[in-house]
Amino acid sequence: MKSRAKTFWEVCLFLGPNLGGFVVFMAFPVLMSFALAFTNWSLKPAVGLEFVGLRNFGDLLLFRPLDGSAGGPLPLAYLGAGLVCCLGVLGVLWAQISSWRGLRLGGALLATLGAALVLAGAATQAPAGGQGLVLAGLVALLTGVLHMRLEPGQDETRPWGPGPALLPPLLIAAGAAALWAMHGAMFATYAPRDARFWQYLYNTLFLMIGIPFSVLGSLLLAMMLNERFALGPAWGRTAGAGLCLLCGAVSCVLLWRAGMPNWAVIGALFWLIAALGFAFGVVAFRTLFYLPSFTSGVALMILWKALYNPRVGPINAVLEQVATFFNLPYEAPNWLGSVALAKPALVFMGVWATIGGMNMLLYLAALTNIPAELTEAAKVDGASPWNRLRHVIWPQLAPTTFFISVMSIIGGLQGGFDQARVMTAGGPAGSTTTLSYYIYLLAFQNLDLGYAAAISWVLFTIILLATLINWRFGREVEQ
Amino acid sequence: MKARFTPFDFLRLAVLCLIGLSMALPFLWMVGASFKPYTEIDTSQLIPAQPTLENYPIVLNQADAPSLGKKLDLKFGRWYFNSLFTAFGITLLQVLTSAMAAYAFSRLRWRWRDRVFLLYLATMMIPGLVIMIPAFQIVVWMGLLNTYAGLILPMAFSTFGTFMLRQFMLGIPRSLDEAALIDGASHWRVFLDIILPLTRPGMIALAIVTFLGSYQSFFWPLIMLNDDQLYPMSVGMLAFDTIFGRQTELIMAASVMNIAPLILVFVIFQKFMVKGLQLGAVKG
Repeated sequence: MKSRAKTFWEVCLFLGPNLGGFVVFMAFPVLMSFALAFTNWSLKPAVGLEFVGLRNFGDLLLFRPLDGSAGGPLPLAYLGAGLVCCLGVLGVLWAQISSWRGLRLGGALLATLGAALVLAGAATQAPAGGQGLVLAGLVALLTGVLHMRLEPGQDETRPWGPGPALLPPLLIAAGAAALWAMHGAMFATYAPRDARFWQYLYNTLFLMIGIPFSVLGSLLLAMMLNERFALGPAWGRTAGAGLCLLCGAVSCVLLWRAGMPNWAVIGALFWLIAALGFAFGVVAFRTLFYLPSFTSGVALMILWKALYNPRVGPINAVLEQVATFFNLPYEAPNWLGSVALAKPALVFMGVWATIGGMNMLLYLAALTNIPAELTEAAKVDGASPWNRLRHVIWPQLAPTTFFISVMSIIGGLQGGFDQARVMTAGGPAGSTTTLSYYIYLLAFQNLDLGYAAAISWVLFTIILLATLINWRFGREVEQ
Repeated sequence: MKARFTPFDFLRLAVLCLIGLSMALPFLWMVGASFKPYTEIDTSQLIPAQPTLENYPIVLNQADAPSLGKKLDLKFGRWYFNSLFTAFGITLLQVLTSAMAAYAFSRLRWRWRDRVFLLYLATMMIPGLVIMIPAFQIVVWMGLLNTYAGLILPMAFSTFGTFMLRQFMLGIPRSLDEAALIDGASHWRVFLDIILPLTRPGMIALAIVTFLGSYQSFFWPLIMLNDDQLYPMSVGMLAFDTIFGRQTELIMAASVMNIAPLILVFVIFQKFMVKGLQLGAVKG
């Protein structure tokens, strides 16, 4: 055995530099941030440091009466109805996983509720609120339809019979009805103390609707890239690549002569990519798909800002040509400058940038790790491609999907700062400001570090809850 | 194993090419726009009718901008240097300290080891935003505002890197270094001569990820700096866009120069990077 002192010095030598940096720039800031959240810490010299207890959190989350009175129980009831809704949503997840009886009736109820919400959203047509209602309705509709399937092992004699699974949709319905009934009275007499926080929370959640598309797209791309192309011997590859290059050159010249230089260039690019595909196989595509995600930075956002430019941007140029071709009325959409379009435009950019990135690589690794015997056995047993995907490949990918969704949700809740700062300045009318950009504005423009720290801890709590829910339900689905 | 090129493969190839096209088109437009003379910027042609190289010297402050009649006075070369310098600094420090800490967590035996490591893991869960505000205050107290040290030091210690390299080192058979230790080698020798060479794939992957990430880091330099001599490319591009945002051809020339080193690094190292990322992720 070595002496203790020697071990101590060795640990100091190896761990020291990293631990020092860790304590100064991570561990201590976490503690300090927590302490700051309970103070009015400000960079303005006129403001003295004071301990304010929970005031920051109250200012952030509570409501205030508009007439200055003490206020009544209405906000509590309103909050309670919201909580009931959330409980109902959790209940739906839980019922689905543990296959409660009565899934069909519950699903039908949920789907009806979703359809009603979609209609209500379409009817009110409020630019921001309407979008949210339609979205929530679509989610409810989809979950409801999925919920209507009869799980194996259920009472098949009474597929529509009531059961405990009816309870969660009823809870959601009751909660939503209560919210709807109280909505008018509530906002006639009360206002949230920090209305912007709620708007920005909504924005943050809205911008996350790209995540499922991005994850599914990554899976699709990975599955297409997983099998190598059987291109035969080296001369076959060279010949294929050469043929593609020849096609590209011919089509380019022909289109250019025909007075369509843009199509000539696009065609040439297509054939070039095909030639690269022949020459380097899947590696060429993997590199190409990864291109947007490793250049994803300020430069890429400035590029997309130019692409979305309503007057001279290429996206609108294409739209205009399509409209003239089909003789449709055309009005140039002001992508990043309109309340209704700014968020979808950012979501689209996000999906484009992340679809071939890290997630695709992770899926590729996971697909390679699936034992070939499994899929072969299923094939021999006569399983259709869809059934092979659904019952063999998808369960094998579950840990990866779980990891990817947790990371995406954590990233999404914290995200949106760069694009808000570079592309839209959070606008128009705050419609692309996310919580992270709000924290930045409060801390480094208003110099209210204490309040900003409080928001960052609220955000952390939301992330933690989301991760816990994900973890609880994700693990169940895996089994 | 399939050995033939089926019609289905042909379809797959075509779809992949189309998706690849959609990934490449924005970049093609960017390169095309960077060669447009400023009279042509409103046209929707991908390739300019009269391509010109003059946008690049304008951005690099070597020539007058025709639309303004004077130089832009951007410190573009300086921003380039700043980005590369800070990215190299962060990468070097981070890989070095992470490897050493990973050795302490995977090879040395000490009392609080697992508890300290758990603490490391716990902080990985805390969002960066929570840390940024006090970290900014700490940097102010240390007097590092508007310095290279303030840009590099807070980013140079990574829990993720430590975690990743520890996983790598745990995969190296212990018998190798135990034999050396019994023969009387010091831990420092074992680290340098046995563990480091075997951890190289992990270190290269970590270095590339860190380099790409730091080259593009935006939030921290944005709040840290108000001296445009020290701006990295990301913040400089934002300043450029704020002042000359309407000059698309100049912005795009700058973007091309901004992205070029990334593509270079990626194409050269992509094999290591994909391997390393997948290894680290699968094990973690």
